[in-house]
Amino acid sequence: MHIAEGFLPPVHAVGWTIAAAPFVVHGARCVVKEVREHPESTLLLGAAGAFTFVLSAIKLPSVTGSSSHPTGTGLGAVLFRPPVMALLGTVVLLFQALLLAHGGLTTLGANAFSMAVVGPWAGYAAYRLTRRLGGGLLGGVFAGMAVADLATYVTTALQLAWAHPDASSGFAGAAAKFLGVFAVTQIPLAVGEGLLGVLLFRVLTVNARPELERLGVLRPAPDAPHALSRDQAPALSRDHVHEDQRAQASDAPHGGER
Amino acid sequence: MTGLAIDDAAWASAWRLRSPADKLLLCGGLVVCALALPAWPGSVLVGLAAVTLALGPARVPARTFGRAVRVPLLFITVGALTAVVQVGGGLGWAPDAAAQAGQLVGHAVAGSAAVLLLATTTPMSDLLPALHRLRVPDAVIEVASVTYRMLFVLLTSLSTIREAQTARMGHAGVRASYRSAGMLAAAVLTRSFDRARRLQDGLAGRGMEVGLRVLPEVLPSSRRFVAATLAGLAALVTVSVLA
Repeated sequence: MHIAEGFLPPVHAVGWTIAAAPFVVHGARCVVKEVREHPESTLLLGAAGAFTFVLSAIKLPSVTGSSSHPTGTGLGAVLFRPPVMALLGTVVLLFQALLLAHGGLTTLGANAFSMAVVGPWAGYAAYRLTRRLGGGLLGGVFAGMAVADLATYVTTALQLAWAHPDASSGFAGAAAKFLGVFAVTQIPLAVGEGLLGVLLFRVLTVNARPELERLGVLRPAPDAPHALSRDQAPALSRDHVHEDQRAQASDAPHGGER
Repeated sequence: MTGLAIDDAAWASAWRLRSPADKLLLCGGLVVCALALPAWPGSVLVGLAAVTLALGPARVPARTFGRAVRVPLLFITVGALTAVVQVGGGLGWAPDAAAQAGQLVGHAVAGSAAVLLLATTTPMSDLLPALHRLRVPDAVIEVASVTYRMLFVLLTSLSTIREAQTARMGHAGVRASYRSAGMLAAAVLTRSFDRARRLQDGLAGRGMEVGLRVLPEVLPSSRRFVAATLAGLAALVTVSVLA
């Protein structure tokens, strides 16, 4: 749920931009530091941004009959941490405004605040808390993605209520209105996105374990050498395989002599 | 969905070879006017100007523009209706509901049309280098550029995988749809990482050390365009303030 261009009065548009700026600048600093230390991260971060954008093109069947699109901010926060997500989320929001006409330029600050700052931080907090309380990876991912979605939706509704207070009951009435109207699509979406996260991680833990370990989501198994993921296998050249075989072959007689 | 209609329109637009700074001046000016000027007649004039410029000189297909406007329109309609319904002391319309809704819709539709004018005439790859002037760090612009370039590959993967899933009854029923969506997201994620790693290997082999250097396309600024933009914006402001 992105606030459309021109929907917020100028003062609010500027205010939310100023509110989101420190988080986005912090995220940008993290990215600059990361890229300076590991130049190869540029491509990985770009891939992460593109994935977050593409995730919103996946349709989820919704209980209300319509289909909705995941926001991916909770997933991004679990995989890449909230500071990086503040920057990637803002970049993705800019792309959505200019490539899909979702959101806008003057409302970019407000949308970044709800989707790239509040959503990821709330989702990440829920994820960490659930894991610490023994909820496991899948429980944590469900909580993280659902909470990120809910937090984004509540923040957006409150932003709208503040900008357009109710004629008689003011901010509180307006908040109830906006929360109520968008609940129809956003609450089923939050549950749906949590489920998607669980299904996604079930596949990832089997197929992309090394990637998850590199991102720090899973702790590397202490002694057992993990199996190669399916898309890593072709990356090994034939020479590697031969070397491995040779190494094993030379080990065997050596071991036998002992 | 393999491509993005707005992006296709931007590459095919008659204004594609105009300087991005010129277009930013025009569209930025229109966006600010749409927001700051009174809805009547300011926003209406901005909206008309944006649509006329897009469909006229910029030759954006009317179908693309119309379809793209539909997305914000839905939000604007729901949002504006919610804003003017009064809940305190029984449900009803706010005292000046029609005027308030009109203003809100006016500002939002005009602003969206102005942003869409920029979006349908300027490809993202022209806009990103312009961020240098806003003192955005190079590393961030590079990450955004890689994101833009990788988008289309991933969107193609997404639609291909989904087609294959649908052909195997992967979207028959809610349960199967969720399972397919999870597998689809996982496949796209691992593919994006794999592609990033392969690109990295390729670039490392060619000696990439400090960022991806590409020759920027030189799109010279047109004095006539800038002058016409400034004159048009000034006229818009004058008419709106005097009216």
